[in-house]
Amino acid sequence: MRAFWKRNNADDLDREMQFHLDSVIAANIAAGMSPAQARRRALIDFGGREQVTQQLREVHAHAWLERLLFHLRSALRFVRHSPSLAFAIVATLALGIGANSAVFSAVDAILLRPLPFPHGDQLVRIRQHDEKFQTPESFVSTQRLEDLNHLNSTFQSITGYYTGDATLTDAGTPEKASIAFVAPRFLQTWDIHPSLGRDFTPQEQVFRGPSAVLVTNRFWRTHMDADPQAAGRLIHVGRSANVVVGILPAGFLFPDPEVDLFEPNPVDAPYTQDRKSTCFAVIGRLKAGVSTQQAQADLARVETDLARQYPATDASFSSQVQPLKSVVTGGVQGSLWLLYGAVTVLLLIACTNIAALLMARTTEREHEISIRFALGASRSAIVVQLLTEVLVLACLGSTLGLLLASAAGKFLAWLAKDLPRLAEVGLDTHLVAYTAVCNLAVTLLCGLAPAMLGTRRTLAGSLASAGRSQVSSRGSAQWALVGVQISLAVALLIASGLLLRTFRNLSRVDPGFQSAHVLTFHISGTWAETDDMGLLGRRIDQTLDGLRSLPGVQAAATSGSIPGNSTAFPSELKVLGAPKSSVDRVTADLHYVSAGYFATMNIPVLLGEACRAGLPYSTAVVNHSFADLYLGGVSALGVHLKPPADFMDAAQVCGIVGDAREQGIDQPAQPTVYWCFSAPNPDPYYLLRVSGDPTSMAEAVRRKVHQLEPTRSVFGVLPLDAHLSDRAAETTLLTTLLTAFAATAVALVSIGLYGTVSYLGRRRRREIGLRLAMGAQPRGIVSGFVLQGLRATALGAVVGLCFGAAVSRSLHSRLYGVSQLDAATYASVLLFTFTLAGLAALLPAIRASRVNPVDILRQE
Amino acid sequence: MTAKSDKTDLLQGTLDLLILKIVALGPVHGYGISQRIQQISSEVLQVQQGSLYPALHRLEKRGWLKADWGESDNGRQAKFYKLSALGRRQFAAEEASWLRLSQAVSLILQTGRS
Repeated sequence: MRAFWKRNNADDLDREMQFHLDSVIAANIAAGMSPAQARRRALIDFGGREQVTQQLREVHAHAWLERLLFHLRSALRFVRHSPSLAFAIVATLALGIGANSAVFSAVDAILLRPLPFPHGDQLVRIRQHDEKFQTPESFVSTQRLEDLNHLNSTFQSITGYYTGDATLTDAGTPEKASIAFVAPRFLQTWDIHPSLGRDFTPQEQVFRGPSAVLVTNRFWRTHMDADPQAAGRLIHVGRSANVVVGILPAGFLFPDPEVDLFEPNPVDAPYTQDRKSTCFAVIGRLKAGVSTQQAQADLARVETDLARQYPATDASFSSQVQPLKSVVTGGVQGSLWLLYGAVTVLLLIACTNIAALLMARTTEREHEISIRFALGASRSAIVVQLLTEVLVLACLGSTLGLLLASAAGKFLAWLAKDLPRLAEVGLDTHLVAYTAVCNLAVTLLCGLAPAMLGTRRTLAGSLASAGRSQVSSRGSAQWALVGVQISLAVALLIASGLLLRTFRNLSRVDPGFQSAHVLTFHISGTWAETDDMGLLGRRIDQTLDGLRSLPGVQAAATSGSIPGNSTAFPSELKVLGAPKSSVDRVTADLHYVSAGYFATMNIPVLLGEACRAGLPYSTAVVNHSFADLYLGGVSALGVHLKPPADFMDAAQVCGIVGDAREQGIDQPAQPTVYWCFSAPNPDPYYLLRVSGDPTSMAEAVRRKVHQLEPTRSVFGVLPLDAHLSDRAAETTLLTTLLTAFAATAVALVSIGLYGTVSYLGRRRRREIGLRLAMGAQPRGIVSGFVLQGLRATALGAVVGLCFGAAVSRSLHSRLYGVSQLDAATYASVLLFTFTLAGLAALLPAIRASRVNPVDILRQE
Repeated sequence: MTAKSDKTDLLQGTLDLLILKIVALGPVHGYGISQRIQQISSEVLQVQQGSLYPALHRLEKRGWLKADWGESDNGRQAKFYKLSALGRRQFAAEEASWLRLSQAVSLILQTGRS
């Protein structure tokens, strides 16, 4: 289209020239020349036709280029004339845009983009809840899963998985692997294909069919040397040999990034027939255009049918359908948006700072602008020129910012390794496009107000008066900008102040146990070895005895959960033989712990005794809250508690221990029952209290376990403190970043206020000098500036308090021991802001008041 | 051809004014403009094609002139220029300022003589 226009235009030029030439020739002939002579004469007069056409082309083609060059030259002049100002603007924008783009890249990759599967938005997690149990999610039996898949009308397919640990026995030492057992249609639901090999065949998914596993890309690289011929190789898992039929693509990190192997769970096996053996977490793919609500209603219908058909097992289920993306990113969503908001506020503050600087400069250029007006430039032309100057600086800033942002991606990965989908964060077209938009927005934000104000003033003023003898210019626009900055900074300060208080409160909490000097790990084991609980318990007790004999180990225990990082598991209990029961329903947090647990965790035994190994009957220990609430204190000993599961006997309460915050440092201790049972599952958490640095014991533990049980592997070796800080990692990250942002904001605002006062001081030098000459006190002049600064601060602070209160509402769930409207925090933020604002205004105000009146009078 | 000394080179910027004046008289093509400037100024002013056409196109681009293809006296297609509304205002302003300037200049010159 454009090329066509150009050619057409060139033709027009040619025709116009030709017409002129022909007319001259005709006139020459009419004047009596011979045609040849007339032509020669005309060509000489014309003076180089090609040259003229070229000139014309330039008139057309380079008009916009010329304008651009003109603006660029004027922007370069800007840089040359005030290099420090230009540097300050570029550096501020580079940091502001860089930080903003970096957080945006995380928001984009983690929250905005669909999951990396074909039609990722059709994937949902189906949570089933069985009213008979207290747990938030009930797993689903193989048969029920198949029924759900067949009977629904809103899903393309429904599948499920459960994970377990297995031991790889190919290498010299046994090694732990994580294995996911998957229902039929697993890959089909995700809509992915193995990058090598194939999916399971139907024969491989039936009971006693050929053994087959799929392996993850990571496993293929670490354990199979990325062998392109890997499909068909054998690997040994536990006692069985399995054929690797396919390798999954590199990006496939679901359901759990830890998983190494996938194995089919046969629908027709004898052990999958019981509708009571529930195991599956459920994933579904919706049909196109079906909403989660429709799917949920459809499943409710299916559930009613199933409840009628299987009243004993399927009567009390309900489903909740959630987009898979929100499940994957659920936890960090709030934090990320909060950070994005904070970093955007920071950029806004930076912009207002720059706008104030530019406004000051535009006023200084009043004379230059007046001349341009006088020469006939339109206001829009001047505004465009001023904006182009800013645009050039902003482009420099955002290019640097983009580099920063792409580097920050790596920094983020290091800082927050637990963020979901982090691998998807990086420099890409989205980020570049976003930065470009940012760049334009910043240009307008920084440049428009100064350009409009600067040119308006000149319209009213005149050439003659520029820069001479005015007393005016109180700088109300500048003060307004200061107020805006203060309000934004106050909001950030409040948010980070509340988080810092939370942080301090948490560090002062006594969790009721001591996490230092405790090492945690797993020893591999599966239900496949034995399902005899007695045998399992004896094996684990023997291992514990062996570990206790290690030098440096003070106590050892197993537990079904990590102290201070376990999910609530409230269960209803029956109290047998209680003297008086004032409460109808007895619910408690249940934990399974071995002998030695309380010694290992330093949880004090208040009454009776702690768990002991080798008793012929079941015992339990309750915590102080439980005893107080349900058992009337002292009389608790000897009472029998009956757990919800049918297969467990009632246990006799043998002791009362202190309250410990098992569910997290930030969660108050719940009424808790510790079942004295070392083997709730084949690989419980092992906990060792050691005398020195826990990590230094890791090797000794590995050697000891290898000596005790050579076919098992030790994995997940971590100090208990690491588990606790992992749990707090997100809040720590949020607190650190928000505090850093708030500090930067305060620095920017101080600089802005300082700059504004020094600028106004310079500008009103003449007036100040005159006032001093008339006998005014310097103190009065200083206090005038400071009061103006404080007034703008006060107005900004009031607005900022409202912003802050709104922001802290979204922080609500992260706060501990501090209310979202905590008066002390708000008051100290205000005090801090006013002190800083006072100082930032005072220093330049003092300098402004030190004008020598004689100098000023001489200039007049 | 007349001798070179009889002719005056155009003062920078005055060409635009002359073009506007000629075009204000009615639609005319480039050749016509050069002819008329020459005729009206009694052969004193001569416009080089190398400056005429760039000036025409610049004025057109600025929106002061409008151009259309039409038929010339000898029946050929030629590009005719005419004044736009904006150009008319511009012409009035430039004419006024030129008259002021030239009056001022002649006043000064006369003062020097007396």
